[in-house]
Amino acid sequence: MTRVAVLVALVALAVPGAAWAHASLVGASPDFRQRIERTPARVVLRFDQPVKAFGNSIAVYTAAGKVVSRTAGPGADAFHVQVPLRALRTGAYTVRWHALSADGHVVSGVYTFGVRVAAPPPTEAYGASGPTRSEHVVRWLYFLALSLLVGGLGFRLLILRGPAPAALERRFYIAAGLGVLGLLEVGILAFLLRAEDALQLPFGRLLYGDLSPIARGTRFGSAFVAMTLGFAAVGALVFFAWLTGRRAFLWVAFLLAAAFSSGLSLSGHSGVDAGSSWVSQTADWIHLTAASLWVGGLIQLALVVWPTAPELRRPAFFAFARLAPVLIAVLLGAGVYLSVLRLPQLSDLWSAGYGRVLLVKLSLVCLALAWGGAHHVLVRPRLAAGRGGGVRGSLLGEGAVAMSVLLAAAVLVDSNPPVPDSRSQPAEPAQIAQRP
Amino acid sequence: MQPPAEHVHWLFATGFLLVALCLLAEALAGPEAWRRRRWRTYLWPGLIFFGGLLMWPVMTFYTNSAIHMLAHGSWAQVMMLAGGAQLALASGKLQSRWWQLTVPLALIVSGSASLIHESNGWLYSRAAFVHHVCGWTVIVGALFPLGRTIRPRSLSFSTGYALTFLIVAVVLFTARDAAPIFGHYSDAVVPHR
Repeated sequence: MTRVAVLVALVALAVPGAAWAHASLVGASPDFRQRIERTPARVVLRFDQPVKAFGNSIAVYTAAGKVVSRTAGPGADAFHVQVPLRALRTGAYTVRWHALSADGHVVSGVYTFGVRVAAPPPTEAYGASGPTRSEHVVRWLYFLALSLLVGGLGFRLLILRGPAPAALERRFYIAAGLGVLGLLEVGILAFLLRAEDALQLPFGRLLYGDLSPIARGTRFGSAFVAMTLGFAAVGALVFFAWLTGRRAFLWVAFLLAAAFSSGLSLSGHSGVDAGSSWVSQTADWIHLTAASLWVGGLIQLALVVWPTAPELRRPAFFAFARLAPVLIAVLLGAGVYLSVLRLPQLSDLWSAGYGRVLLVKLSLVCLALAWGGAHHVLVRPRLAAGRGGGVRGSLLGEGAVAMSVLLAAAVLVDSNPPVPDSRSQPAEPAQIAQRP
Repeated sequence: MQPPAEHVHWLFATGFLLVALCLLAEALAGPEAWRRRRWRTYLWPGLIFFGGLLMWPVMTFYTNSAIHMLAHGSWAQVMMLAGGAQLALASGKLQSRWWQLTVPLALIVSGSASLIHESNGWLYSRAAFVHHVCGWTVIVGALFPLGRTIRPRSLSFSTGYALTFLIVAVVLFTARDAAPIFGHYSDAVVPHR
């Protein structure tokens, strides 16, 4: 009897036919982020399965939030939903849609198009309020995870080059593993928070929200995809380095991690704002990498080397002290260039919100530099004389200040720099979304 | 240009079938015979780890809903965790047998994610049926690696463990993006022209 039941089940499963999971949007007119020259008569959405349309299934908004769509309804067939439009003026428009999928779920989404102008990314659709405090914290956690990974790998490869005690190796790999895990988890969280803001949906409906326009139609989304895949590969490489004890894996992981961290520079102010170029993107990436190596190095010194390998404290501290001035110089050089680029007038420092956050960040950097200088002047001679009491606490203090610099940087990245009149055209719309 | 979801399901079904065959061979031949060639001990853990790594592109490229993204992300992580722990146990890098528990943990998380992200009933559609069968198979199947942790030489636990992957592979091979189940369509999915 059991055999017959199993056989029947397998035969039933093998018969092809047609039924569905929840509906996905497979086409739209106007298309995602399309720039059109003539006013469209209607917005038409095409799904991969029949959906039920409501009167308010599609709403089209101007940049000021005025609704320019009429009552929505079914299109040519049950796979289509459409809404007639009023005459559209030149400008950017936001399409917010939802429909009842065949499986009973309400599927939702948002996208933008432009009439005689480039369309903004969906993360800047009408209704999206921009980064929140939660996103500041999430971005800060992302920076910390990046420091743990890139800084940790850099420290192990450039500072502690030789063999290390097992306890130190263990802690190093735990720190690097936490860095990878943090980058993956926090990256997903950051993406969902940005999507939630763009879609303007409660959590229950966000679960069935279409994230494709954000994943593939924005620089932020492209960076999320590339960095998630990249850091997953880095995680595998770090694991193989631990498993086999081969340093070659660590080198590849380090170079890949540093390369993929450029996703932040390519999708942030340096890649999107007015005046951005490959020079600003490179400067931003160098700034970020140097900061990660500095903060990650401090964490490794204080939490990995000091408690597990007393015999390596002095050589590790001296080697890091030789590298730190180079990192600081690079960090400051790139940082000053980017500050001048984003704040062309000195008065912007105290008159613009972005400038004020930058001032806070600069103050914290000065404090960290002073702390590092004190280490150089006071701690080095003590360590050279074989006395190292209290150094770990002081390293942790410098590390805490460095982490607060990262927090200021996270707020800064989420803030908008003042836009000079002569450069008021944003660069972001130049790269048009690919159709998912 | 993305491949249809059913092709991706078949790809992973192939991977799970290979894992099942390795586990079955190990159960039938006995651990000693299976481990006579060192590379064999890395075979199925490596397949699971690599499968977890491959799950990341699925998560990032199939973003037509947040819940799919989260489910695939959780599968990617637990597969890498379980595969990685088994690789480390095989290489001797990890010694404690309790690391074996990462496999039942991965199965329970995977099964739960499969059931949570399918909110329709068993006979709603083929896809719903596949999700339910896979989810419950994997959750119940978690008992076998759990038992194997306590009694590593038990033929029943080892065979049950292999059959869990075999069932998942067979069911995934039957997955279609569009298909009825037992000739049944839900009224809600019939096109309303």
